[in-house]
Amino acid sequence: MELHITNHAAEVPFSFMVQELLTGNIEKSEAKYAVYKKMRGIAAIDLPDIEAAVSLHFGQGTLTIEPGISPDAAVIIRTQAAQVMDLNALNIRWGLPYYFDEAGRKVIGLLFSGKIKIKGLLSHPVLLTRLTIIMSVM
Amino acid sequence: MATHKAFTQEWLDAWKQKIAGSQEYKEIAKEWEGSVGLICNADPSKNIPNPVYLFTDYWHGDVRDFLVCDETKVQTAKFIMTGDYARWKQVAKKELDATKALMQGKLKLKGDLTYVVRNVKTINKVIDLLTEVQTVWPDDV
Repeated sequence: MELHITNHAAEVPFSFMVQELLTGNIEKSEAKYAVYKKMRGIAAIDLPDIEAAVSLHFGQGTLTIEPGISPDAAVIIRTQAAQVMDLNALNIRWGLPYYFDEAGRKVIGLLFSGKIKIKGLLSHPVLLTRLTIIMSVM
Repeated sequence: MATHKAFTQEWLDAWKQKIAGSQEYKEIAKEWEGSVGLICNADPSKNIPNPVYLFTDYWHGDVRDFLVCDETKVQTAKFIMTGDYARWKQVAKKELDATKALMQGKLKLKGDLTYVVRNVKTINKVIDLLTEVQTVWPDDV
């Protein structure tokens, strides 16, 4: 399983966590690997409370992590550091993020309360869904 | 309430007792298995002349060995968290969230990160219970 992940964001310690998390998740699951191989586009994660932001450039089997928020990011997830863990806790059922259990309802609640803001939620649902799948540790 | 010097066996015993006595911990930690080594880097200016090595072991809601140990023992832990004294003190005083500290690189984790993220509630509970231990810090003496 070749993931071809390159991290250009060494100045952002959070980038190593993202890299390790994605590597661990994808390597443990053929299904996640298949999703990763289909991913194309840029998704950014912005954690203003710890002043950390990274952009994930997916290229159908490659991932380059860049510091900051790319102006071309189709999806931007902006939240507090503690809340980004709630996204990782989403369960995947039938190949899709599952929002009808405790973890899912919590994420929905955070979205409605504005504690998690997602740019591209409606305009780029495929990239967002795939990102959620490969970020899930469940 | 008794106070304990940080990083001593008595301090670890008090922490272990807090964890063992927590019904909430037992529930949250049902899935957790494995030991966590904690390394506090030396900081002579804060009265930590040498690195401190702590070994803590958890098993499905129970707590096992909690030991002040040497480097060889700490390296046998399933997970190892390393940080400077000032960071550990902040975490133990609830001034710094451990998750944020990991994301900011203020604490380093060696071990399966996906497992830790999946069980982040367990980690947070264990640290919450540490904040309940009345602690005397080496640089406050």
